[in-house]
Amino acid sequence: MSLFYFELQKLLFNKKTSLLLLCLFALYSVIGFTSTIFLIGSNDSYRAYEEMAVAYEGSFDNEKAAEAEHIYNEVSARYGTDSRMIARSVKDQPEIILAVNYYAYAQQVEEYWNGTPPESAEEPCGIALLKSKLAELENQGKQDTFAYRKLSDALKCLIELGEPTFANILLWENLFNNWGEHMMQFLLFVPLTFIIAPVFAVERSSGMDNLILSSRYGRKKIVTAKLLSVLVASTVVVILYLVATFLFGFLPHGSLHGWNAAIQSIPTYARSMFHFKVWQLALVGAAWLIFTGAVYGLIVSFISSRMKSQMGTAGISLVLLFVNVGLAAMGDTVLQRIQPLVDFGLANVTLIKEVFGAHKLFDVFGVSISYPVMAVFVLTSIAALAIFGIYQGQRSRTVA
Amino acid sequence: MELQFEQVAKNYKDKKVLKGISLAMETGVYGLLGPNGAGKTTMIRILADVLRPSKGRVLCNGRDIHAMGDEYRAKIGYLPQDVSFYGDFTGKDYLEYSAALKGMEKSMARKRIEELAYVVGLQNDLDRKCAAYSGGMQRRLGIAQALLDNPEILILDEPTSGLDPYERIKFRNIISAYAKDRLVLLSTHIVSDVEHIAAQIMMMEYGVIQYTLTNAEYIKKMDGCVWLVKMPAEQLVEYQNQAVISNVIAKEDHMEVRVIDESKPARKAVQAVPTLEDAYLYIFNYLPGKKRR
Repeated sequence: MSLFYFELQKLLFNKKTSLLLLCLFALYSVIGFTSTIFLIGSNDSYRAYEEMAVAYEGSFDNEKAAEAEHIYNEVSARYGTDSRMIARSVKDQPEIILAVNYYAYAQQVEEYWNGTPPESAEEPCGIALLKSKLAELENQGKQDTFAYRKLSDALKCLIELGEPTFANILLWENLFNNWGEHMMQFLLFVPLTFIIAPVFAVERSSGMDNLILSSRYGRKKIVTAKLLSVLVASTVVVILYLVATFLFGFLPHGSLHGWNAAIQSIPTYARSMFHFKVWQLALVGAAWLIFTGAVYGLIVSFISSRMKSQMGTAGISLVLLFVNVGLAAMGDTVLQRIQPLVDFGLANVTLIKEVFGAHKLFDVFGVSISYPVMAVFVLTSIAALAIFGIYQGQRSRTVA
Repeated sequence: MELQFEQVAKNYKDKKVLKGISLAMETGVYGLLGPNGAGKTTMIRILADVLRPSKGRVLCNGRDIHAMGDEYRAKIGYLPQDVSFYGDFTGKDYLEYSAALKGMEKSMARKRIEELAYVVGLQNDLDRKCAAYSGGMQRRLGIAQALLDNPEILILDEPTSGLDPYERIKFRNIISAYAKDRLVLLSTHIVSDVEHIAAQIMMMEYGVIQYTLTNAEYIKKMDGCVWLVKMPAEQLVEYQNQAVISNVIAKEDHMEVRVIDESKPARKAVQAVPTLEDAYLYIFNYLPGKKRR
């Protein structure tokens, strides 16, 4: 048997972890199922929504927008403007859900043409606003600046994308919420931490270091085997999450409607500049979660290689995760000061909506680089450093 | 095969555990005897390359073992003082994992595991979880692990602790048969483990090798130092606080006490034939200027 097989057995294919994985799958399934049920009450309601939405799908319609606004105003007068509260209150009334969604879509169209309000602290968006900002910079002779390149790139993307269209993406929106909210980080990365924490630390706490470090393959090949098993373990846990939330998110209503719509149809991705279809985003999002899960696994492995106990490893890893989540939740004034830390911290970089849901460019030595590319670069660098540190550590590791 | 310690020292903060040990070992069985805390395990760990010396170096056929890296570790089999296991592993898993760590080819490893399981008497227990093994069985499994790839250098730290007398004798026979053309270093505080099989016996205390002699040389050294004294049982209680006693036998009306002493301890004392155990007691309790244990 190869070392990899044994490392995998220690980390993943043992009774304790198998039981944990089973429990996780059940938990993830419940999350997928309940999130869909809370979104739209019954199967009949969803069928009715699907049938009604067919008439609304496609380009923007002023009449339908006015009608939707009227219904929305009534609903918000009764339940308030909080979208979650509205969603919870009208989950059994498909016609109202449709009106609320169409109202949101109308605002999205408005933003597409006219953009965010000038006083907004958000990144400028919308064709008219971008044009005026660009003209302003041109008047100041700042055509060679990064700000100009960024806005100009955003405008070009918006024009290419065209005006958003309405689509029934209700269940897909729910799926992407499950895959891209902070809750996912707790559901996915906390168990992953406990599964991976023992990878190196257990050798110290169990005393097996004596055997490993005195053996021929105990300094290099064992590290390779352990790292590969970490990658497999993280991939298995992420896939478990993806499959469970996908299956149980769609099963209750048995429909994949909206799979071929543009991702801009999903409100969270309305400002995305990527020409993805919904199914493509699902694939990219899944791959992204697998990738970030692997990088997080390697970070935990590095911590494990420096610690004497797995609980210590889990503790430090979780502190690291929570600090990142905490940083991302800071107020705007703090965020502006630590923006790079937040952009490439675990909290943001693991969320597909952050990486693929907006238009973010970075100026790297005069070259404009998109957020996903930068994130891949930063995460790969962190992973490479972790791997290097683990190999170096094992080379000089002793039992004392 | 030659192993050399060159001024090897190991400190833990201010505590000097090894104090500049220099010695050379060639093919054969070497016993390392010493009381607890003498530095035996530290010396063994340095030799097994799981601990680095603070000063000095260990050479294998003239090359620094640290620089040799994998090449050196491929030559050694090591049984640590405490054999540890993963909870989920069976005996077979443990040996197969050890074989994988040693880089053994699968079919070769399986064959060797079968052989060794029979040798150490675990042939019927390999499919049981290691955690369910008794102390002696765990030790035997550890011995099998150390012998897996027929290492040129076998390093054993307290190999017989937890073994019953029969297993202990069996272990000695295994090592004796194995030691041909190989170097075996066996660290223990149980004198009988090395008495009959070690070509050279090192006596270690306070991080220093005090003597490296053969069994016969130790016994010769003890000539005239081992006595048999007869005394009533009541006298023994007080006497044992003043003398180094290696054995006491209760006879019908008196006690027969085996005493280590450079001079005749009592008028009616008779000389006895010394053993290695007497030498051990003598060296670690009776050397001039030494505080008795």
